[in-house]
Amino acid sequence: MVRPETAVLRRTRGATTLMSRTPRKLISPPISSNIRTGHFHRVEGHTILRVGLSAFAAATALVVPCALAQSPGPAALVNQYCVFCHSEKTKTAGVVLEGMDFSNPGANAQVLEKVLRKVRTGEMPPAGMPRPDKPAAAAFTTWLADALDAAAAAHPNPGRPALHRLNRAEYSNAIRDLLALDVKPGDMLPVDDSGYGFDNIADVLSISPALIERYMAAARMISRLAVGDPGAGVSEEEFVPAQLRRAGGERKQRNERASDDLPFDSAGGMSFAYYFPLDGEYLIRVNTGGGENRRKFEVRLPVKAGQRIVGATFLRESAKPEMESPGGRGGAPAAGDHKAPAAPPAELDVRLDGLSVKRFEVGGGAALPAFRGVVISGPYNNTGSGDTASREKIFVCRPASARDQRSCAHTILGTLAGRAFRRPVTEADIEPLMAFYDDGRRESGFDFGIEKALRALLVAPDFLFRIERDPQGLAPGAVYRLGDFELAARLSFFLWSSVPDARLLDLAKQGKLHDAAVMRQQVERMLEDGRSQALVDNFAGQWLYLRNLAVARPDPDAFPEFDENLRDAFLEETDLFFQSILREDRSVLDLLNADYTYLNQRLAEHYGVPNVYGSQFRRVALNGSERGGLLGQGSILTVTSYPDRTSVVQRGKWILATLLGAPPPPPPPDVPELKPHDKDGRLLTLREQMEQHRANAVCASCHSRMDPLGFALENYDGVGKWRVKDAAGPIDPSGKLPDGTLFQGPAGLKQTLLTARRDEFVSALTAKLLTYSLGRGLEYYDMPAVRQIVREAAGSNYRVSALIAGIVNSTPFQMRRTREP
Amino acid sequence: MIIKKESLARRSFLRGAGAVLALPFLDAMVPALGRGSSVPKQPLRLGFVYVPNGIIMDRWTPATEGAGFEFAPTMKALEPFRDRLLVLSGLAQVNGRALGDGAGDHARAGATWLTGVHPKKTEGADIHSGVSADQIAARTFGQNTQLASMEIGLEEPTLAGDCDSGYSCAYTNTISWRSPTTPLPVEVNPRNVFERLFGDGTSNDPAARLASLKEQRSILDYVTGDIGRLESSLGPADRNKLAEYLDAIRDVERRIQKAEEQNADTKLPLMARPASTPEEFGDHARLMMDLMTIAWQTNMTRVVSFMMAREGSNRSYRSIGVTDGHHSVTHHMHDPVKIEKVVKINHLHVETFAYLLNKLRTTPDGDGSLLDHSLILYGSSISDGNAHTHHDLPLVLAGGGQVRGGRHIRYPKETPMNNLLLTMLDRAGVPAPEKLGDSTGELQLLAGV
Repeated sequence: MVRPETAVLRRTRGATTLMSRTPRKLISPPISSNIRTGHFHRVEGHTILRVGLSAFAAATALVVPCALAQSPGPAALVNQYCVFCHSEKTKTAGVVLEGMDFSNPGANAQVLEKVLRKVRTGEMPPAGMPRPDKPAAAAFTTWLADALDAAAAAHPNPGRPALHRLNRAEYSNAIRDLLALDVKPGDMLPVDDSGYGFDNIADVLSISPALIERYMAAARMISRLAVGDPGAGVSEEEFVPAQLRRAGGERKQRNERASDDLPFDSAGGMSFAYYFPLDGEYLIRVNTGGGENRRKFEVRLPVKAGQRIVGATFLRESAKPEMESPGGRGGAPAAGDHKAPAAPPAELDVRLDGLSVKRFEVGGGAALPAFRGVVISGPYNNTGSGDTASREKIFVCRPASARDQRSCAHTILGTLAGRAFRRPVTEADIEPLMAFYDDGRRESGFDFGIEKALRALLVAPDFLFRIERDPQGLAPGAVYRLGDFELAARLSFFLWSSVPDARLLDLAKQGKLHDAAVMRQQVERMLEDGRSQALVDNFAGQWLYLRNLAVARPDPDAFPEFDENLRDAFLEETDLFFQSILREDRSVLDLLNADYTYLNQRLAEHYGVPNVYGSQFRRVALNGSERGGLLGQGSILTVTSYPDRTSVVQRGKWILATLLGAPPPPPPPDVPELKPHDKDGRLLTLREQMEQHRANAVCASCHSRMDPLGFALENYDGVGKWRVKDAAGPIDPSGKLPDGTLFQGPAGLKQTLLTARRDEFVSALTAKLLTYSLGRGLEYYDMPAVRQIVREAAGSNYRVSALIAGIVNSTPFQMRRTREP
Repeated sequence: MIIKKESLARRSFLRGAGAVLALPFLDAMVPALGRGSSVPKQPLRLGFVYVPNGIIMDRWTPATEGAGFEFAPTMKALEPFRDRLLVLSGLAQVNGRALGDGAGDHARAGATWLTGVHPKKTEGADIHSGVSADQIAARTFGQNTQLASMEIGLEEPTLAGDCDSGYSCAYTNTISWRSPTTPLPVEVNPRNVFERLFGDGTSNDPAARLASLKEQRSILDYVTGDIGRLESSLGPADRNKLAEYLDAIRDVERRIQKAEEQNADTKLPLMARPASTPEEFGDHARLMMDLMTIAWQTNMTRVVSFMMAREGSNRSYRSIGVTDGHHSVTHHMHDPVKIEKVVKINHLHVETFAYLLNKLRTTPDGDGSLLDHSLILYGSSISDGNAHTHHDLPLVLAGGGQVRGGRHIRYPKETPMNNLLLTMLDRAGVPAPEKLGDSTGELQLLAGV
């Protein structure tokens, strides 16, 4: 078996071995434990360690910070441990470190950022090769990071996001904020593609004919609703349970209160928002039952235009035996001789904005009929546009007479365009819109004129795209500060996924947004504003893979307790949790290790947390239990599992990729399946099955980093329930990482993440947030910004506001490159 | 005597034999697709139906070649259409292979099926593939129909997480590429598909429709003008995006123009607007295929591509008792239990396709049925899902008079699938380019005897 050091010595030509020339002793790694049989790094061809005298000279001539006075300079370190594989001749992985000029790291930032990352995480030098000891490696990486940061400060490169179309969520929110119309028109548009884990990446958001057509259709619908077009005919819309999640309503199985908008003592049903376009009469029809038992219940009533909450639910009798739990799970009978009493006739309650408008008797029987859906049709006999929030927003003036109409229209359209385009508008912007107004007015009056102009405005590129214009007169490739309006837009799309509000636009107009204090205030205001929910929905939803929860299908045979109530509860828990971190400006480390979470009864029972009753979510203190933090939440534990069992690898990979920013490379093809039984037919534990990941060195290179993380969570089954054994025996949740770190169970894992891997976690989160805020993937030249943000946030123990402030003040966020020559 | 090669050119056979022989008129020598002898009066429709993650080939491929083959178990549901289809074996999309790019076979499969171009490995910046065959047809046919093409599917694009080993999700979410940098979104909500075809249906009055069309035109004029003003202050990369925008607008303008011309003859849709997306696979699929049929029937478009699931899909199929994820179970590693599950899924997909063929066959179209006037390709861009192979792809070509069906034809190894695509385009009357992706000519068969 060849020992690497001897190999090196043997292969050195020319001058005596570099080793003997270095000022410090040759560091011998504990070779026997690092080399496995047959695992010797083979490099292409023959590796010859050439000691470039010039490189060596350069290294000794290098001016190094004092910290390194006792240790070899960076060049010496690199020559000793890296050039063996990364030489000019061998170019392993395309990386050449031989002859690297360390006096000017900025010139080779792309490669050196890679070096920094790999050495910091311990990936390089690879296991089995000689490695510098921890202090030397740390000194090197510190020096390198500082040098790269200094270079970046001297020559900033903020990058240049591509022309950036609004995505569906941003489109819906923009309409909501511009026109006070919350009808989620984004759902009419084709789904956006994602890149780098997010669906707001400029390069990936393409434009197709289908999209244009849908924009136009959406604009028609929006303008009709917003202006309140009395000419609009009768329409009928159906809301069905499965669809409701998308409509923003809620769907629950029966026997539980379906929504906060429904009465306390209700069971099942649905509640959703509907925009009544005009004042008039509407017919609300509730369909129940199936097959031969289909029934419908109708109520026709006058409704004023605007957005209202429509609800339909069954009412239960208020006096109920205490023992009966709303979940009604089949299984363990309640204490005592308890049988479900014969139910009195149930009542179907139809509600509008929380008030009951009609009650129907549904008839007796033990089981409540199934909800099929609600159909709303109307308006019949409409009495006009009414006073809606949208009309108020649009009609900033009212023409006193026919003569005033055109100038009033001009004012209205100018205001709308200014808000929609996120910048001051000129005649060139307004005139074309006025042409549409004239057409519409000729056809059907003032309001219709505005409606027509709105249809055009909502398809204008200035609205649909985030336009950032290079200033005149700058050389190609130059770097400049963004203008105030552009900055306002970046801020609002980042924190609200929507257009800037009047306050932001006002500050931009005054040119004050660049002031650091003003910026700080605005960020604070924006985070406190309810619109920052967008960060939870869009950032957290994608960063944590929560959106996949909607389509997760745990197998009912493997996990019979999983149902839609639980799915909704999982999502609600993580949603509220992330919100709390945001609103209370907690440290992002609390994401990993909070001592509280949000539960309702269903979820608490699932987790085994006692004394939580009712379907409402509330904050629950966790006393050192195994829950607490993201890793104990059902949402994440379910999306990282297979439909019928847990996946140690998926969870490990998720932790590496999502929490530590170090995604493992993809597996090679033809990975053999795990053998579930040993030679004697005994069912192997998952751990034993995966022994192969450790035994085979090629597998181990990645799996030794991944599997231990996943194993630590094995106590949570595929839907997040705690267990102490699986089919093969007791669960052993211990883990050991390649660098020797040991931990036990989720608590141990959390500790490790919070201490040894804390910087990686914060950096990973920062990188993700930065990607999301810029709408482009990060490049090597963004790394100094990430480091700076993390460094500065350390002072406040990594509070969310510090990270966000750091991002908002960073070079890539505040500045831009002009187009390349 | 079983001919194991493709349809032979008689001359080549003779050369091989080294002597002059009186040859029987072999079935395999009959070109599979007739050469425009009877041009159908009704326009030809082109359909592309995609299933992901490959197929268990030994249950799919018929044991014999030529005519009179026996339908293998997975394909049994297609038996009633024997004389309308050809089973094609041996074709390949070699550009789906790694070719030095490492992992990512699913992304490459989705991107190559209709393009034959090796896609660029990138997570987001500058995605790059090729133009897909259906879009080439759309460019021509779109002159005569309101919608140049329609892209529909059953599975929403990936919601979160990465898609395939460093490739952008765009590659697995669609099989249709309008340009090398413009993937076309796949619409999954039947209601949106309906509305795209027939509008929000607020008016059945032709005059009102015309007025609406006129308004849409003027809106697009306005938008185009706006773009013109923007272009000057943007860089080249941005201009590409704007060009994409302008291109899309032009397409819609053309649609409007067509709609205006055909306004008087606009047929009313023969189905009710779907309210929502059905939960169950079968219901959802049938609804989408009904929409596809009606799109062809009303001549709203002549080109439709339909993905039964995203490439790399990991959905389960509970209705047939498969609770594992599709992708997971196709990595069966020769476990017979898993293989059976995959077979079930394959079978379900084929049954679903049979529904479409039946629907087309029973829908009248001019002097025949829709099936008589269409050419539909069904298959996958991966054959062995376990090993991620991109050759010997499972493909079935179904259709009308053009297809002299009832045959299983095996081509020499590594014959580009793009040759088939080129041939389909040619048969459909699309002036196709000399070369499409990695094509080397039309399918050997069709060069005639």
